[in-house]
Amino acid sequence: MTTNVLAHDVHAAHPESGKKNYLNVTSGFMSWAGTLDHKRIGLMYLVGVSLAFLSGGLFALLVRLHLWQPHGALFSNADYNSIFTLHGAFMVFLFVIPAIPGSLGNIVLPLMLGAKDVALPRLNLLSFYLWVTGAVLATLAIVFGGFDTGWTFYTPYSLYTQKAVVLIGMAVFVLGFSSIFTGLNFIVTTHKLRAPGLTWFRMPLFVWALYATSLLQVLATPVLGITVLLVAFERLYHIGIFDPRLGGDPVLFEHFFWFYSHPAVYIMVLPAFGIISELVTVHSRKPLFGYKLIAFSSLAIAIISFLVWGHHMFTSGQSTYAMFAFSFLTFFVAIPTAIKEFSWVATVYKGSIALNSPMLYTLAFLIIFAIGGLTGVILGSLNVDIHLHDTYFVVAHFHYVMMGSIALAFFAGLHHWWPKMFGVMYNEALAKLACLIIFVGFNATFIPQFIMGSRGMPRRYATYVPEYAPYHQASTIGAIVLVAGVGLMVYYLLASLFQRRAAMQNQWGGVTLEWLAPTPPPLENFDHPPKVTTEVYDYSTLDLETTRTPIR
Amino acid sequence: MFAHLIQDPPAQHVENPAPPIVPDAWGQMPKLASTFDHVDGLFYFTYAVCIFFFVLITGVLAYSVVAYRRKTFDQPAVANTTHNTPLEVVWTVIPLIIVMVMFAWGYYGARDMTNIPADARMYRATAKQWNWTFKHPGSQDDSYGEVWMEVGKNAAFVLDSTDVLHAFYLPSMRVKRDVIPGRNQTVWFQPTEVGDYHLFCAEYCGDHHSKMYAQVHVVTAAEFAKKPWAKWEDSTPALAAVSAEKQIYKTLCASCHTTNGTKLVGPSWQGLFVKRPDGSIVGAQREVIEGGQRKTITVDEAYIAESIRKPDQKKVVGYEAANMTAYELEDRKIKAVVEYMKTLAVEGK
Repeated sequence: MTTNVLAHDVHAAHPESGKKNYLNVTSGFMSWAGTLDHKRIGLMYLVGVSLAFLSGGLFALLVRLHLWQPHGALFSNADYNSIFTLHGAFMVFLFVIPAIPGSLGNIVLPLMLGAKDVALPRLNLLSFYLWVTGAVLATLAIVFGGFDTGWTFYTPYSLYTQKAVVLIGMAVFVLGFSSIFTGLNFIVTTHKLRAPGLTWFRMPLFVWALYATSLLQVLATPVLGITVLLVAFERLYHIGIFDPRLGGDPVLFEHFFWFYSHPAVYIMVLPAFGIISELVTVHSRKPLFGYKLIAFSSLAIAIISFLVWGHHMFTSGQSTYAMFAFSFLTFFVAIPTAIKEFSWVATVYKGSIALNSPMLYTLAFLIIFAIGGLTGVILGSLNVDIHLHDTYFVVAHFHYVMMGSIALAFFAGLHHWWPKMFGVMYNEALAKLACLIIFVGFNATFIPQFIMGSRGMPRRYATYVPEYAPYHQASTIGAIVLVAGVGLMVYYLLASLFQRRAAMQNQWGGVTLEWLAPTPPPLENFDHPPKVTTEVYDYSTLDLETTRTPIR
Repeated sequence: MFAHLIQDPPAQHVENPAPPIVPDAWGQMPKLASTFDHVDGLFYFTYAVCIFFFVLITGVLAYSVVAYRRKTFDQPAVANTTHNTPLEVVWTVIPLIIVMVMFAWGYYGARDMTNIPADARMYRATAKQWNWTFKHPGSQDDSYGEVWMEVGKNAAFVLDSTDVLHAFYLPSMRVKRDVIPGRNQTVWFQPTEVGDYHLFCAEYCGDHHSKMYAQVHVVTAAEFAKKPWAKWEDSTPALAAVSAEKQIYKTLCASCHTTNGTKLVGPSWQGLFVKRPDGSIVGAQREVIEGGQRKTITVDEAYIAESIRKPDQKKVVGYEAANMTAYELEDRKIKAVVEYMKTLAVEGK
C-alpha cells in the first residue's frame, strides 16, 4: 500500500532555496492591485470576505446582546431592524456566496486542474473589483441611513421604507455580476484547462462542486439582478410591479426572489460540500466512497434546486397544487444531500484518520450538517412548515447550514490549504482548541433557537414575550463563546504569517495535483506541465517522505 | 444609531401579555389547543427519524475516529473500498421511502388546513403597522388587539392588510397565514382548549414588527354569548378613559405615542391638555404644519378626531416625516380617547 509510485509525470515539490513564489515574485501595491495571478486574486478575496465575515459577525453579536432582555437591551426597534438586516446582507451577499469560490476556489481550482491560471484572468480580476464595488456600495448604504428590509427585501415594505434600499440594491446587483463572472470563468477553465489525462471522472470533487456551483451562478443570478432592478425602478418611478397600491403583486416579488435565492443556497453550500469531500479523503487517506454518486449528486442538486423555490412560501397562499409540487421536490432534493453525508461517513470508516485541525473542522461540519440537513426535512412537510415558517426554528436551521456548515467548511479548507498558500503552518494546538470552542459555541447558540422556534418565537423580533427569555439568554451566551473561538482562530492564523514555521512539502499527504506543485506555488504554478496517469484519490501513489520534509 | 444607548428604553406597549401560556415541559411544541394534531404527529415522527439518523451518523463517525485513528505517519487505510452498490441503493431508497411518507402526511394535513368547513364562523382580521383589528361574526364593532372565540367551534378568519405584508400566527393553534394587501387570505381552525393565546405577526413589517401582538381569548359558550367584544363602557368620563386606554391606546397607539413625555415615532400624549390651577382642563397650544403653512392651534376634540382619521392633514412640527396610519374610529370612541388624554394633562395656566 505504501509503495511510492510517482503517479504523475511531474517532480514532487522541491523548490530550490530562494526560488521565487507567487507571494514574493514581485512587490508593491500595483503588483497586487493589478495582478492577473489567480492565487493573488484569491488572497485578495480572502482578505475581503474575511473582513465581511468579521463585520457580519459583529452585527450578529449586537443582535444577540440586544436580545438578552425581552424588551431589548441595547437599541431602539428601528436600529435593531437595521442591525439584523446588515448582519444578513453582509453575511449572505459579501461572505457566504463569494467566500469559497472567490478565495479558496480561485487559489485551488487551477492548481487542481494542473493549469497555469484560470481561463480568463482579466475577467477574474474584474470579478474581484466588482466585489469590492459591491462592498463599498453596501458600506455607503450604511452611511446613508442603513436599510431595514431584512436581507430578503420583501415588497411592499422595501418600497415604502425611507432607508437606503436603492443603494443596497445596487450593491446586490453589482455583486451578482461578480458572481456570474466567477462562475463563467470556472466553467471555461474546467472545460478547457484540464491537464492531459485529467478526465472528468479523475477530477477532484472540489472541482466538481465548483463546476456545479458555477452553473447555478450563471443561470440563477441574473434573476436576482432583474428583481432588485425592478425594486429600484419601482421605488424611483412608481411603475407598479410589486406595489399593490399601484396594481402590482407583492407575491410576485417573493417568487422572483426565491427563484434566485433558493438555488443561491446551493451556490453557497455546494463549494462547502466540495471542500468536505476533499478533506475527508485526504485526512482519512482513503479514496472517496461513492465518487461518481457524489459528483452526480452535485449536478442533481444543482438542477432540482431550481424547482423548489416555492417552499419558502408555504404560508403565502399559493394553490394547494403548487404546494404539492414544491413540497414533493423539496423532499426529493433531500436524497442527493443525504447520499453525500452517508458517503463521507463511509469514507471515514476504515480509513487512516489523522485528527489534525482541518479534519477536526471537517468532523464538526459532518455533525453540524447532519443536524442542518435533517431539520430541513422537518421543514419540508407542508403542515409542519406552516407552524415553523418564519420562526426561530428556520433561523436555527439555516444557520446550521450557512454558518455551521458553510463557514465551518470554509475554515476547514482554509486550514487545509493554508500551508499550501503561504508555506507556513499555524499553531496546531491552538487550532484544535479553537475548533472545539467554535463547535461548542455554535451549538449553544443555535440549539436554543430550535427549541424556541418550535415553541412559536417569530424571527426578526426586536422584543419578545418574556416566556422565551431563557432560550434567548442561552443563545446569547453561546454566541459569546462562538465569537471567542473565531477570535482565537483569527489570532493564530495571522500569527503564523509572522512566526514563519515552515510547512511540509505535502503537509497532509494529498495526491491531487495542487500538492504536486511547489509550496507555495510559483507564478504559473507548476515547474513542469503535469500529466495525470492514475485514478483520483489513489493514495498508493503518495510519496510519504514529502509529508515530513519541510519546505526550504 | 447608538444614541439610543444613553436613553431609556421605550415603553412596552404590550405589558407582559396576560397569563403566559404554561409551557408543556417535555414537548418541543407549545401545548396544542386546536384540532390540528397531525402537525404535532408529523413533527414528532420526523423528529424521531432525525434522531435515529443523527445517532447513526455520529455513531459511525465516533467509532471510526476511535478505531481507525492514524498512529504512525505512514499508516495506510484499513480498506480502500471505493463503492458498494447494494449499500448505496439501500441508503438512497430507504430515505426516499421515508420522506415520501412525510410528504404525503404533510400534504394531507395542509389540505385539511386550507379547506374551510362549511359551518365555520367568519371573522375578519385587518392587519396594519403595527396592530390587529377584528370584526366578530355578525357584529360590526371593531375590536382592537383582542378577539374572542368559542371553544369547540370551527372559525375562519378573512385576512387583509392596509399597508405591507404581515402574517397571522397562532402558535398554539398551529396556524399561520401571510396577510397580503389587496388579497383576502383565509385561515381556519377549531380551538379545543379554553384560555388566552398569543397572536403574533410572523412576517417582518417594519419598526415595531415585534410589538404587533394580539390576544385570542377562547371562551366557553356561555361566556361567548355575552359578546365580550362589544363591551365598551363610556357612561362616565372616568369609565370612558379606562375603556379608551385599555382597548384603544394600548392596542393601536402605544407603539408610536407614549404617555410619559418620551418621544417615539409620534409625539407623546402627555400634555396635550393643560390642567389649570382652578381644576379646569383645556387644550394645549401646538405648532403644526397644514398645507405647507406653519400655524399654532389649540388642541380640542375636533383636532384629535382629525389627527386620528386624517393624520396627514395637520402634522406636528418635529414629526413631519412620521407616517401615521389612519383609523376610522366612531365618535364615541374618539370622545373616550379625549377623556383619556385629559387624564394625562400637565399642570399649567
